Amino acid sequence: MLIFEPHIHMFSRITDDYERLSLAGVRAVLEPAFWLGQNRTSVGTFVDYFETLIGWERHRAHQFGIHHFCTMGLNPREANDDRVNQAVLDILPRYCEKDSCLGVGEIGLDDQTKTEEKFLAAQLELAKRHKLPVLIHTPHRDKKKGFERCIAIVKEANFPMGMVLLDHGNEETIKITRDLGCWQGFSIYPNTKMDPARMVSIVLEYGVDRMVINSAADWGVSDPMMVPRTVVKLEQAGVPRPKIEQLVWQNPIGFFAQSGRINEAMLQNPARTNLRETFEGNSVLRGQDPDKV
Amino acid sequence: MSAERNQPIAVPTIAALATRLGPTALAIAEPLLAEVRADRSRLPVVFPGLPRRLGREPVRGGRTSLGPGIVDLDAFRTCDLAAAWLLLSAAATDAELWDLYAHGDIEERAMLLRALHFLPVGPITVRLFGEMQRTNMVVHLEAGLCDGDLFSRTVGQPDFDASVANKMLLKLAFLDLPLHRALGAEAHCNAEFSRMLQDLATEREAAGRSVWRDTNRAIGRAPTAGTAARLIGGLEHGDDGVRRSAIEGLMALHRPDLRAFAAERLEREPRPEIRALLQRLVTG
Repeated sequence: MLIFEPHIHMFSRITDDYERLSLAGVRAVLEPAFWLGQNRTSVGTFVDYFETLIGWERHRAHQFGIHHFCTMGLNPREANDDRVNQAVLDILPRYCEKDSCLGVGEIGLDDQTKTEEKFLAAQLELAKRHKLPVLIHTPHRDKKKGFERCIAIVKEANFPMGMVLLDHGNEETIKITRDLGCWQGFSIYPNTKMDPARMVSIVLEYGVDRMVINSAADWGVSDPMMVPRTVVKLEQAGVPRPKIEQLVWQNPIGFFAQSGRINEAMLQNPARTNLRETFEGNSVLRGQDPDKV
Repeated sequence: MSAERNQPIAVPTIAALATRLGPTALAIAEPLLAEVRADRSRLPVVFPGLPRRLGREPVRGGRTSLGPGIVDLDAFRTCDLAAAWLLLSAAATDAELWDLYAHGDIEERAMLLRALHFLPVGPITVRLFGEMQRTNMVVHLEAGLCDGDLFSRTVGQPDFDASVANKMLLKLAFLDLPLHRALGAEAHCNAEFSRMLQDLATEREAAGRSVWRDTNRAIGRAPTAGTAARLIGGLEHGDDGVRRSAIEGLMALHRPDLRAFAAERLEREPRPEIRALLQRLVTG
């Protein structure tokens, strides 16, 4: 079964994870621009980070046959930081036009401050100008209220709901979002957010329409294999295979295809792999013969 | 590329590129140019989208003179020509070109390097050749070094003398790209380049690795110590391509005293087409 992992921060993962993902059937990953664990102090570090997402990280993924895409954006935590927030917004247009950028994200709310709201609204306008869908990070604290506030801001911006993916959802938020026409993401974590067993229950109760699952794996305790693991749990629970394929393949492609930059056909084959090729002289190999790997 | 320096070359090149692009592509590209002319800060926003807007299909048309040099249009895509058209029409400065390269993804950089073939040669050409040399990416070396005579036209520019050019040509050997794809590069072969190639070949052979097939052709054009011996040895090589290139190298040497080695090989050469080449070498 082919898998499109629609939210994973490979920037903070090791190369072996790409190999494991590839072996588990992950054909494509989407890496939302995010917070790096501590605040950045100048816009230049965002430039370097964005360029890693369209450069070295793509190269690394391609070495394992995995297509690599991203979303670009100013994350809500650093939206609060006046040292960088406006400057990042100013440089985002050129990165929104990169071929592998399929949306604006992850944007949204975290502490639910007025400044976060201002930059969320500004980035909804940015997405409109570039005709891109948005990936919205919803707060981990006071989630239900934050979810509702995100939706209110999207509505105020007249942003089309069908181009909105509200991420990090749970049993409570799906009740809010299912009738809105937006997409719902569930981040499956080893110990928090959502786990495979709860996800099975949600699928059995609500189906899989406009729903995606992801690992949201990053530098914390997380597991990039959570989507393949959940696929196994869904199969064991008797969820029909076409439904599972819709959840982990057609749905994420369908959502991000709204960017006009991908389609299912172009993902049918693995990404071009050439282990002889380096990226700016750098390779993922450490002493191996590229012709024999 | 200053706008003033750009103008004499730009006008006919822009017209030639427009003809090749055709009305459908121009209808897409012209509003983008207007956007850039109205606001220069839109150039880095417009540029990345050219492949998906203009298309990645090869232009086709074979080797042709277009603008300041010669290109093999079979290797250029519609978006590459559109990029050149846009940059020339907008009179993009060296600083703008560098910015596009520095912040571009792999495909944008390749597109920019292909567009360089149609822009006037100058400091930005030399700077970007330096980046190609440093970063060692096959797709970029192909874009800048191959399928046109950009390299040949750049040799002799400030900071691009023979020693820099030799390092650039050596990349072809490292990456196993054919010499003939760098149009006119053969004319820049020199004894120092031959020494570098022979050293590389010796090193590769010692490691049991393959040697660039064009080594013999290149060293024959500009011999140095050891060249004749390497070429004579090549006549006995098990690989047809190596034997062929050794004969071509010996032909380029114009050394009648070496014909006896070719004559000695002639009877044992199993390939008719290589035998015919040997015969030409023997008879001079």
